[in-house]
Amino acid sequence: MPNEDKLKAGHKKTEAGKRLSKMMINDYMRLHQKAGEGAFVVWIAIVVPAELFSGFENVVYGVPESHAAMSAGKGVGPLQCEKAERLGYSMDLCSYARIDLGTAFDGGKDSPTFGLPKPHLLISDNNNCSLLVKWFDVYHRTWDVPHFILDIPFCYEQQTARDLNYISSQYRDLIRTIETLSGQKFNIDRVREALEHTKGALTNWKRFLKTAASRPAGLTVFDSFVQMAPFLTSRGTKALAEHYRLLADETEENVAKGIFPVPNEKYRLLWDNIAPWHQLNKMSSRLAALNANLIAASYTYCMGSLEGEFDLYPYDGGDPLTYLARIQNFSICPHGLELRYQAMQRAIETLGIDGVIFASNRSCKVYSLMQMDMLKRVTERLGIPSVMIDVDHADIRKYSEESVFTRIEALLEVIDAKRGAQTPR
Amino acid sequence: MKNINNDMKDNKAKGRKVIGCFPLYPPLELFHSLGLVPVTLWGLKDSIPTTGKSDRHLQPYACSVARHLTEFLLSENGAALDGLFMYNACDTLRNLPEIINCGLADTGRSLPIFKIHLPMAPREQTESRAYLRARIKMLINELEEAYQVTFSIEKFRQSVSLYREMRKLCKALETLVANGRMSYNEFSRIIRDGWFVPAEDQLLALQKILQDRPLSKREHVPSAVQSRIVVSGILPPPLHMIQAFENAGLTFVGNDIASQNRALFYTPAMVDDPADYYVDFYNHHYPCTTLLYTADRRVAAIRELILSTRAQGVVFIGEKFCEFEYFEIPHLEKILKDMGVPTLFLEVSIDDNDYSEAYVTRIETFAELIGSANQGGRYAE
Repeated sequence: MPNEDKLKAGHKKTEAGKRLSKMMINDYMRLHQKAGEGAFVVWIAIVVPAELFSGFENVVYGVPESHAAMSAGKGVGPLQCEKAERLGYSMDLCSYARIDLGTAFDGGKDSPTFGLPKPHLLISDNNNCSLLVKWFDVYHRTWDVPHFILDIPFCYEQQTARDLNYISSQYRDLIRTIETLSGQKFNIDRVREALEHTKGALTNWKRFLKTAASRPAGLTVFDSFVQMAPFLTSRGTKALAEHYRLLADETEENVAKGIFPVPNEKYRLLWDNIAPWHQLNKMSSRLAALNANLIAASYTYCMGSLEGEFDLYPYDGGDPLTYLARIQNFSICPHGLELRYQAMQRAIETLGIDGVIFASNRSCKVYSLMQMDMLKRVTERLGIPSVMIDVDHADIRKYSEESVFTRIEALLEVIDAKRGAQTPR
Repeated sequence: MKNINNDMKDNKAKGRKVIGCFPLYPPLELFHSLGLVPVTLWGLKDSIPTTGKSDRHLQPYACSVARHLTEFLLSENGAALDGLFMYNACDTLRNLPEIINCGLADTGRSLPIFKIHLPMAPREQTESRAYLRARIKMLINELEEAYQVTFSIEKFRQSVSLYREMRKLCKALETLVANGRMSYNEFSRIIRDGWFVPAEDQLLALQKILQDRPLSKREHVPSAVQSRIVVSGILPPPLHMIQAFENAGLTFVGNDIASQNRALFYTPAMVDDPADYYVDFYNHHYPCTTLLYTADRRVAAIRELILSTRAQGVVFIGEKFCEFEYFEIPHLEKILKDMGVPTLFLEVSIDDNDYSEAYVTRIETFAELIGSANQGGRYAE
């Protein structure tokens, strides 16, 4: 089969991909509908444990970061950013924030989801990114909506018992706050049930990611980027657990049948940072044409894991607030360099990574400002060729495709040279 | 401009143990009471003009505060430090300890780094006092162990008194500036120099200045100087920019600068427990964009500052890439506009010395705006 045909076969939209689109549409429609019917609406940062809201009869949540990523993916990122910039918000601010501010202050116009319904409560946290607290403060001040800040200590080492207790006590404060504001009673058993769904979802998420270990890999990181979305909007639901089960099943079946997204995979790469949402199609096509496959990302393998780890940390049926507090730091940004390195080393060794792309992301300093030392460490300690490229996760105006690919092609040459040096003459 | 590198060498030569503190608001009295010399690593740009070493570890979109701080620590001058202290002041600074460790390791050096998490949730929302108390006590234990010293409440009280007096005198200098008896340039230089010397030396220097230019009682009420402005930001404007303001006839009657008024504003009453002291210190700290829990008090504080100083304009000095500041500026500008107070936003970046002339026209135009308002009386409170 000619290479082009194989690529087309590999990139055919999967059943999981089709289901994902429906699921996301349904999530946003349900959110708007329930809000219209009087549900209590909260806006949350992506790492706020959304399972808590299952404990209430009628609380729904929107995730501005997720909405901003979707907007960037659908090509309206710059349009919304410019609206925020016209209101005085600097172009140096995070592009998610600018997209969100632009969307919200223009009443949801130009948004693929008509924006988000206005909130009754804002819930931010400062472990994933503390500037998000400032971003939510803009709405807090403008709309006079209460703002609850989860204060989560940064992790230079694994979470301590003291920090865990501090976090779970804040969950109790949050529950009381929602009870007071919404007039609804909280039921912890519902959260327990939601956590069982989350456990199912994350177990299958890890199974899905594990298909990257096959050669060629059963997925591209672009699949995992887009498939993250419902974890943010449907966390703790049966529908999500079922979706990830089907996703893992389908991907494993494809591997068994010999269907691979990059059939002539020659280079197995790892991505470090948030997805470049405006480049998913272009970047995956260009990489595939080079027989290069991004098979893993720190951005996606952290889901369901503790700090510095790669494997799943499942819910054990115990106290829901204790589990949620323990897993609160699951994303990469709250981790120090040592922890990030530990997890990346596991990923590199487990998946047989040939090279690492460190995407230096102007819009996410908290993710990016360790990468120069991470790159050095990965290259020197693990002997894995690495490169740094400049991206912005949601603002295409700050991205240069050609300079990025010049660097990626150079990385592939270094990998070739390393292989040549290792091949016995 | 005094060279801070000489101060650092002087500290070392005198056998002092020096602890470098990341900006912004470290527990200075505590370090001092343990016999350490705390130096707050603000405004290093004038002494560390390049960032070659830092650039190997930090991308160019890190703020100049972080880049100069890293450069200082990795340079020979940083070797004069015996330890570092930091807390979660912002996303950039919280990433720095391990980056600095990597940089130091490259040069075969290491430094003990003491870290605490300062609770950032609003106090009316989350009871975090016990958490902060525990962190302060742990810090004391770590310092005692690292430097083989013993905490003494008596010494702590003395240190608190010293810093209280020092802050009081700094505020007195602010009054001189507001009354046109000291330039803001000179004030900024004096405050900045004080960050790198022992508190006792700074106190002596302040006392001498105030002996030469004593404050009269009536100076504590706003004077009648014209073209009165308040400046807001993380660091004061670069000295050449201040000069441009003062040349344009503008007087700095107050500041909302993190390294000046925000840092100097509040000293708690003495208590018997240093942990309680710092709970009070941080809870009642002057509002700052970096202290997330103070957000609801910030607008009121700015308004109060403008009214009490009868300022006619506000200048925002944007430290490029400081998101905490940049998220608040549009909101503050709108509120000030509603109050009839004109604003000017100037962005300061790592290479601003190269482009200083570009600011002059904007500053002069702003001065004209305020001057014409004076004539028309438009901006009276």
